This record gives sequence, C-alpha cells and structure tokens, in this order.
Amino acid sequence: MHKIAEVEIQHDIMVANKKLAKRNQKILDKSNVFAVDVLGAIGSGKTSLIETLIKKMNLKIGVIAGDVISKFDANRFEQYKVPVVGLNTGKECHLDAHLVEHALEDLPLEKIDLLFIENVGNLICPVDFDLGSHIRMVVVSVSEGDDTVEKHPLIFKDSDLVVINKVDIAEAVDADEEKMASDARMLNPDAIVIKSSLKTEKGVDEIINVIENFMNG
Amino acid sequence: MHELSMADAMVKTILDAAEKNQAEKILEATIEIGKLTMLNPDQLKFLLEVLTEDTLLEDSEIHIEEIPVEIECKSCDYKGLTNVDDSDHYLIIVKCPQCGERDLKVTSGRECNVKNIKIEKSD
Ligand SMILES: Nc1nc2c(ncn2[C@@H]2O[C@H](COP(=O)(O)OP(=O)(O)O)[C@@H](O)[C@H]2O)c(=O)[nH]1
Ligand SMILES: [Mg+2]
Ligand SMILES: [Zn+2]
Repeated sequence: MHKIAEVEIQHDIMVANKKLAKRNQKILDKSNVFAVDVLGAIGSGKTSLIETLIKKMNLKIGVIAGDVISKFDANRFEQYKVPVVGLNTGKECHLDAHLVEHALEDLPLEKIDLLFIENVGNLICPVDFDLGSHIRMVVVSVSEGDDTVEKHPLIFKDSDLVVINKVDIAEAVDADEEKMASDARMLNPDAIVIKSSLKTEKGVDEIINVIENFMNG
Repeated sequence: MHELSMADAMVKTILDAAEKNQAEKILEATIEIGKLTMLNPDQLKFLLEVLTEDTLLEDSEIHIEEIPVEIECKSCDYKGLTNVDDSDHYLIIVKCPQCGERDLKVTSGRECNVKNIKIEKSD
C-alpha cells in the first residue's frame, strides 16, 4: 500500500549561508583576524583601494581575491608579497560563505591582522550572502553615474563603510559626488561615507582611520 | 543573477529530504521566496524544470510562494508590512510607511526557503 505524507523541510538557503558565515567569523576571531568584505561594481576601484591600503597600512594584510577575473587581481596583490588566495568563481555573481571557508583554509591566518575579501564585481547579487567578515565596505565610483547609489539601495543599506571613489574625474564625467554621498547617508544613516581618489590619495587616510577604528571595536 | 545556483541548492535540499523519508514519488514541493531577494520567480521556475529532469521531482508540482516585505521602524515602533510598489519597490526599505523615517530594519522578505514536500511512500 502507498500512503501520502507531508514532510516539513524549512531549509532556508540564505539562513544556511548565514550559519556558515558565522562559523567563518569564529575561525577569523580565533586567529585575531579582522575581515572586510569589499563590494562594488567592476572597475569601481576595489583592487586599487586594497593595493593602496596594503602599501599605506602598517598591518599584516591578507587578501581573498574573488573577482571573476581573479587571476589578474590575485597577481596584482602578489606583487606586494602578502598572502593571497584567488577564488575561481566561474560565472558566479557573488561569493558565498562556503567559498570563503575554503579560502580561509589556504591562508596563514596566524600571520594576518587584516583580511580583505574582494567580492565579485556586482552591486546586487552579493548583498544577501554574508561571508563572515566583520564589516562591509562598498566602493562606488563617480564614473558609474551619480544615480548609482539610489538605484542600488540594498547594498548601501547593508554596508558599514561607503567609499565614493574617483572623485578626481567627477567633473569630467559630469557626476555630482555630493549627491552620491547624501544618497548613501539617506539610505543608511549608520554608514560612514568617504569621498576618495586613489589617484590623488584624497580620503585614503580617512578610510584607514575608519577601518582601524572598527578593528579596535 | 544567481537563480541557477539557488535553484540547484533547492533541488538538492528537496531530493535529500525525499530520500531521507523514503519517498517513492514527490507529488508537490513548496518554496518560499522573499520579495527582496531579487530572484525572479519565472526564471526560477524555468530552471527548476530543467534541473529536475530525470529526478524524483520531474513530474512534481512545484509551488513558489512570494513572501512580502516586513519592516521594523526604530523611530515610531511600526512593525509590519510595507506596500510594494512595483515601479520602485525599493522605497519600502527606505521609508517607514507610518512616520516616514529611514531608520528601519527589514525583518522579512529575504527568504529562500524550501518549506515542505508532499510525498508518496509505501507503508
Ligand atoms: N581616475 C581614477 N582612476 C581610478 C581610481 N581608482 C581606480 N581607478 C582606475 O580604475 C580602473 C579599475 O580599477 P580596479 O581597482 O581594477 O577596479 P575593480 O574592478 O573594482 O577591482 C583602473 O584602471 C584603476 O587605475 C581613482 O580614484 N581615480
Ligand atoms: Mg578587482
Ligand atoms: Zn516609523
């Protein structure tokens, strides 16, 4: 005889990712590593910013390079003789906690104070996937258009630090960096918003200060 | 968008549960998708059809239920649904429908939940 049964599953894929992310954070905390999830569109300046921070911060830095073209970015970081793991995400539009878990296994965590995780260049998909980082930093450049912030509210609402980058070319691309900054503040009153240029290093010291403040709790 | 990897994870979750419960057939499966996940239900449905070929789920009826967005306002203590305006559906996470303040927490609408299945098994 056959019978029909209802089976409750209640397995939320987002919740499962969050659990893994919490576990990642525990692993990081055990080795006293502070991790920053670096988000933003392709070309916004994520890799350049991390490179600048490696040069200017007086800390032991490590990098997980998760951008789709990870080999290129990973090679860029390797020049600075810091531990780097490149994640091959294939066509995936975001990193998830599981991928990061494996990258952590390949890093000498005891030798790292500050870990940057460069996410896949995308302003939408990474939002729902916590990685286990302590803060989220989103890098948006003026050349993406000054309505980019208001068009992508979720990512700005979920970030602790918003970097409005490439202000050196704002005039040339007819973008109002003030509008982008105030849109970010409107979406997320708790976020710290910094205007920067990696060409002139405007705002870089401020970014360093903010990250160090977060690290010191 | 990541409909494919999500659909893949859902199918695995369902087949796993079916196996654990010695299902011979899966009649129905219900999935809940939060309105803020940016997952497109039509695309998801299509991918589920493709991914379930030659599995126990091949002929099952898969229901996709949308979960509305709920917020909590830190300024006026409003708790509950916000109206989704499809032309600009983000606004809801930005402004409290009651007091207009912006300091909100999204409490529901980001789910991607495999809820339940209806199976046939021998007793
Ligand atoms: N003018 C200008 N160019 C920048 C700035 N920051 C980055 N770039 C350039 O933008 C391009 C993309 O930067 P990259 O760091 O690779 O972006 P990613 O894809 O977000 O990692 C590179 O050619 C950088 O030199 C900036 O502040 N000003
Ligand atoms: Mg990059
Ligand atoms: Zn309110």
